[in-house]
Formats: sequence, C-alpha cells, structure tokens
Amino acid sequence: MQKEMAYSFPDEVLKHVFSFIQSDKDRNAVSLVCKSWYEIERWCRRKVFIGNCYAVSPRMVIRRFPEVRSIELKGKPHFADFNLVPDGWGGYVLQWIAEMAGAYPWLGEIRLKRMVVTDESLELIAKSFKNFKVLVLFSCEGFSTDGLAAIAASCKNLRELDLRESEVDDLSGHWLAQFPETCTSLVSLNISCLGSDEVSFSALERLVDRCPNLRSLQLNRAVTLDKIANILRRAPQLVDFGTGNYAAELQPDVFSNLAGAFSSCKELKSLSGFWDVVPAYLPALYSICPRLTSLNLSYATIQSPDLIKLVSHCPRLQRLLVLDYVEDSGLEELASSCKDLQELRVFPSDPFGVEPNVSLTEQGLVAVSLGCPKLQSVLYFCRRMSNAALVTIAQNCPNLTRFRLCIIEPKTPDYLTLDPLDAGFGAIVEHCKDLRRLSLSGLLTDHVFEYIGTYGKKLEMLSVAFAGDSDLGLHHVLSGCESLRKLEIRDCPFGDKALLANAAKLETMRSLWMSSCAVSFGACKLLGQKMPKLNVEVIDETEPPDSRPESYPVDKLYIYKSVAGPRFDMPPFVWSMDEAVKILH
Amino acid sequence: MELQLGLSLPSTPIFPFKMLDLNSYGYELREGLGPFGINVNNNCDSCSSSCSSSSSGGADDGGGGTKKRRLLDEENRIVPKTLPLLFWTNQRPNDEDEPKDVDDHSSSAIFKNDGEGLVGWPPVKAWRKKVRRRVANVRAAVENSCGGRASSSTYVKVKMEGNAIARKIDISLHHSFESLTTTLMRMFDISDENGQKSFKLTYLDREGDWLLAEDVPWRTFIGSLKCIKLIRSRC
Repeated sequence: MQKEMAYSFPDEVLKHVFSFIQSDKDRNAVSLVCKSWYEIERWCRRKVFIGNCYAVSPRMVIRRFPEVRSIELKGKPHFADFNLVPDGWGGYVLQWIAEMAGAYPWLGEIRLKRMVVTDESLELIAKSFKNFKVLVLFSCEGFSTDGLAAIAASCKNLRELDLRESEVDDLSGHWLAQFPETCTSLVSLNISCLGSDEVSFSALERLVDRCPNLRSLQLNRAVTLDKIANILRRAPQLVDFGTGNYAAELQPDVFSNLAGAFSSCKELKSLSGFWDVVPAYLPALYSICPRLTSLNLSYATIQSPDLIKLVSHCPRLQRLLVLDYVEDSGLEELASSCKDLQELRVFPSDPFGVEPNVSLTEQGLVAVSLGCPKLQSVLYFCRRMSNAALVTIAQNCPNLTRFRLCIIEPKTPDYLTLDPLDAGFGAIVEHCKDLRRLSLSGLLTDHVFEYIGTYGKKLEMLSVAFAGDSDLGLHHVLSGCESLRKLEIRDCPFGDKALLANAAKLETMRSLWMSSCAVSFGACKLLGQKMPKLNVEVIDETEPPDSRPESYPVDKLYIYKSVAGPRFDMPPFVWSMDEAVKILH
Repeated sequence: MELQLGLSLPSTPIFPFKMLDLNSYGYELREGLGPFGINVNNNCDSCSSSCSSSSSGGADDGGGGTKKRRLLDEENRIVPKTLPLLFWTNQRPNDEDEPKDVDDHSSSAIFKNDGEGLVGWPPVKAWRKKVRRRVANVRAAVENSCGGRASSSTYVKVKMEGNAIARKIDISLHHSFESLTTTLMRMFDISDENGQKSFKLTYLDREGDWLLAEDVPWRTFIGSLKCIKLIRSRC
C-alpha cells in the first residue's frame, strides 16, 4: 500500500509541490527521501547556496543541478576580514563564471562574499547571462569600475547591484552613465564603497529618476549633503537609504530643503552612511525617525548627547549600529526609548588606543539587556567586563541568537573579581538556548569550553581568541557542540590531541581555522592522509612547513570538508596536506 | 575530566591504521546523500552502515572505536560520537607525555608581532579602519599643533558661566567653530535668542590668557587651546 503512494503522483505534481520549498535545508531533506525524489528535486532546484567555494567544484554543481537560476558563493574564511588571510590565498570566482556561462544561460542572480572578482569575470557575466538581474558583491575585491561599466551596459533588466564593503579600483566615475536610458528596472543600488571621485552625480540623478521601483539606495562619500535632497525628491519611494557625506556648513535653506526632502519619503525605514556628520543636520531626520527600524551610525563620529537626542526620536528602532561614542548614557537612553530593539552593534572609535577614550563599559550593555526584551543579536566592543554583568545579560535576554563580545585587551579578567570570565560566558550559553553564534574574549580557561560544549547545542559558529589552557578546551567544543559548522581560533594553546581525537567531527563542519596555536605539522599531515573528505591546508608565509621538524607548530591551518578534493589554485604559501597533491610535487 | 593519551604523538607510529577502514570514503557524491546538512549522528550512522557493508577489518580491536554501538555494549565505556584518530579517555593526564618543544613554540607563537601590535586584533574590519585612520590623522594634526599635550587624548574641558559642572569635549571631532558651537549649545542646552548669540566662546591659551575664540582663525584656536569657557553675552 505504502509503496504505491510514492509513485502515485506524477512528476509534475511533485515538481509543483517542491516549488514551494525554498529553504536549502528542506530541499536537501527532500532529496534524501528516495531516488526518484532526488532526481525530480535536482531538476527543479533553482537556487544553490555554497558556503565554501572549495567544498565542491563548479562541474559537480552543474552536473547535479542543471537548471539553476541563482547562486550564492562564499570564498575566504571569515578571519580574512581582519587581515589574517594573506593576499592571494584564493577565492577566485572566474572559473565558476566560466563554467556557468556555458551551463546556465538563464542564470539571473549571483551573490558572492569574500571572493576575488576580476573585471574579466564581470565582463563574462555581462556577456553570458541574458536575463541577469542581481549582482551582490559583499566584501569582494579584484575588480574596477571598468568591470562595473560592462555590467551596467549589458544587463538590460538589472534589478540589484550591491557592492557593499568591496574594494573597488576606481578608474572612472563614468561607469554609471553606462546604464542605458532604457534601464528602468533598478530596485537596489549600493555603491557606498566607492571612492571619493568615482561617481558621476548627474548620471546617478538621471538613473534614480527613471527607476520608479528603486527601493534601496546607498550613496558613497563623494555625494555631499546638499545633493541628498535632490536624490530623495526623485525617489520618495525609498525604503532604505544610505547618505553620503552628512557634513556641511550649517545653512538654514540647505537644512530646510533636506528636512523637507526626508519628510516626503513616507516609506523610509532604514538609514545608513553618515560619514563626516555635522550634528546640526541631524534634526533634518526627525520627521522620519518615528518610522525608522534600522539605523547605521557606525561611521558617524558624533557624541553621546547628539546620539541620545536622535535615538530618542526613534521608538520603533529594531537595529542600531553605532560607535562607542554613544557611551553608557546613550545606551541607557536607547534602553528606555527603543523597546523593539533586536540588534545592537557597538564599534570601537579608538580600538588601538591604550586608554579608554569614551565612557562605555559593560553597564551600557546591561542597561540594554534590561530595557530591550526582544534583543537577539549583539556585537559589543568594550574595555571591561564582569561575570556578574554577563550573567545579568544572559538572564535578561534568553532569546539571544548571536552574541559577540570583544574586550579590547586580550585576556582581560573580570574587572571586579579578577577571575576569568568563564562563568559569565557559561551563563550566556546556558540561558540562551537558541544561541547560534558566539565570539569570546577576555581571560578564559578550559572551563568556558566545558560550558560551551555542555550547553551550546545549537551553536553553529564559534570564534575564539587568546583563550583556554589546554587541548581539553578544544575537545569540549568539538565533542559537545552538535550543531557546530564554523570554528575559528587564534592564539590559543590548542595542539594535536583534541584535533586528532575529534577528526571525524571536522567532516560534519564547514570549516576550521586555527592560527598561532600549537598544532604540529605532523598532525596536519596525518589529518591530510587519513581524512580524504577534508582539505587540510597549512598557510605559512615565511618558509615551507616541511623545512622544519614535524613537531613544530604550523602558523595557520585551514581545514574544510570538500568533495572536490584538494584545490589547484593554491599560492606558494599554502600547502595542501593531501597525499595526492604531495606526489605531484 | 582530564585527558590521557592512550597513544603517543606523531614521532612514533600513532595508530595501527589497519584498524580503521577509511576505504569506504570516496570523492564521488553518493546517491541519496544530500549536501552537507547532515548532522553528526546521521553521519555516524551512514558511516557505520557503509563501514559494515564494505570490508571492515578494524572494528574488532579495542582502540578503533569505529562502531559506536558495539563499543558501548562490549566495553561499557563512554565513547565519543566521532571517529577518533586518537582515543580520548576520562583519566588523569600524564604530563610526561607533553613534548616540551611544542609548548615552547606555542608560547612564542602567540605574540608574534611584538612592537607592531597584534595582527588582526581587535577584530575590526579593514573597512572600518579607514574611518579610524581619518580620525587618528586629525588627532595627530591636533597634537602636532598643540605640542606637548599631557595625554594622548584630545579632550578639553568646557565650563559654562553659572554652571558648576564642567564637561569634556573631543576637539578632534570638529573642524570649524560652527560645528563646535553647535555641539556646545546642545551640550549645555543653550539656544540663540532672537538670532542673537546668548553666549560667547572664550578659551584659555597656552600662555595663560583668556581670549575670544571668534577673534582668531580655527587653526590658531586649535593650536593653543587649553580649555574652553562659555560666558554670557552682554550686549
């Protein structure tokens, strides 16, 4: 009876049902049910997410999913953001584009993060995909405005061009003028990363004018304050806006023009940009503040009183990014004004200064945890912390899903008791049962890892620096954290034992990064030999790891699961521990 | 729970690897195996089922730990769910097993960039550092023109006539009298009355004189500023 059920639906019906299943996890589950579902599913999968571009080859993806319309790829490890991954490490997208150009003529969306994208790649995209709609280059590098010109010129129905935080070689501002007059389809444009002179403002104005569906626009610093009003009046339908410069000599007519322009944007919910802020212009925002749900002031060097005034006008705020100029007093105001707050990020204004330059301590975060019951995501840079504060935060915010704390000086103990902060972070993982991401800092022993291994059952990503006493710490994490996908460690006394004892765990994770730890070259070789499903790569810029004794620790180690085998685009300072590659050398 | 190494470190043959049959792992995507969303438990189950279907010489020996279920039954030990290349037990550590040279290297590995500061710490994105650099440059310019400011901070004291409490302001954030006075007005809750400024900005210079800020150019002001006082404007 039950066997018949599986075959009772024709493929078309199953296909139609599957089309409602969008999440990757669910799609993967569907494909595991039986052979025929696997087959049907793979033909109708339109969207593929590849969290590590080296985990699989383009050919393999194309072979399994022949009809993909949207692809997302991530390249370099997260620590590349902090200059721990040397230039030239990899993450090149060209081969992917080249293979997809042939296989996916209808590819419409490409989203890349931390990848190296050349002008050649961009030109290839422009040439190959007639229905190209979405290009997101998040923290990418390697291309110039010439490549952007190719995209602008060729992609007739481009909807999204988002270059957030990418490094772009600015050769000329005229690329914007390459968008043909017939292009009216833009919905989202983020050029905030571009340099000072590389945007032709008149071209931008005309583009904004003819795109009635433009919802999201992030300008770059070259756009001065007086020009903002012009743009806003052309796009009152904007939902998400990033200003350029927000500084100018205070002039009443400029102010009123700006205030008027903002007030005409009835849909505006999210603001960012705000480089070089003159506080006197902030009141121009007051008319839209009551609707604001997201505010990114993390580049704005404005002081606490001005921040307090602004934030007190934004009762619906859900997301706030700000510099530590906000101080404890500003965060207390936030806690009393913004009861809907879900995400808070406080960045350091002077991360390399020895003395604190602002009055921002653990108290600010405690206040927010008390006043904002919906708080889910925290990124907080500060200079002191206590276990008591962390316990309070944990108890106040059991719904935290992301908690990243960076106490600026490594190995800083609890400032009240001088104890390690094990108990505090332990409370976080114990109370916050849905915690998916955690970053540790301060003085920490192996005990904190015992807590994390015991309670962090939903933890997917863990970042560790200057923590732990022995391999026991790493063992707790690898053996206890069932959902762990990404682990990144720097400057911890973790060696071979825990790694080798939990080798198979690594096959269930996306990747492991360890730098300035105590993992020996011998252990890396062993892992490379015995674990063919893993790519074990040693990074050393000074000398080849085999020029030293096997017991010598490696500088940096990056291990990731892969079905594609060792990669062939490694630079000279990256060594694969795979046996096969060694033979070729 | 402490670690005991049942086996020694890499210098001697670590592990009789005939015990662990890794031949069942291959590079091809196996049918029925979806992409990498499988959790540890499932992975172990599929591993052990594939291990049992192919020739698995090793699982019978005690040290291997390939078959979780069998070990639990036979030896009644707590076995980690992972496939270890070393075996982790709940016994006291044997310190003699620690090779001393590894410890030496690890301690020197930690603070490599002595003098240069730590690479990549604090973990601030390169993107944000650009903004920081701009602020730092302003600070440097201010310090150079001030010469010999006691602390590395660019904070100056501000007092208001009739107000007992002094405040501090970061002078490096301002590039004109306009922005400075705007901030001060907010800080002390002053407003202009009928377009006339109700307060005058005065400052103490390095020579100990009180001067009117509006009489001097901004650079001069910044260069010799020690502290600020707002006095009521008597017109």
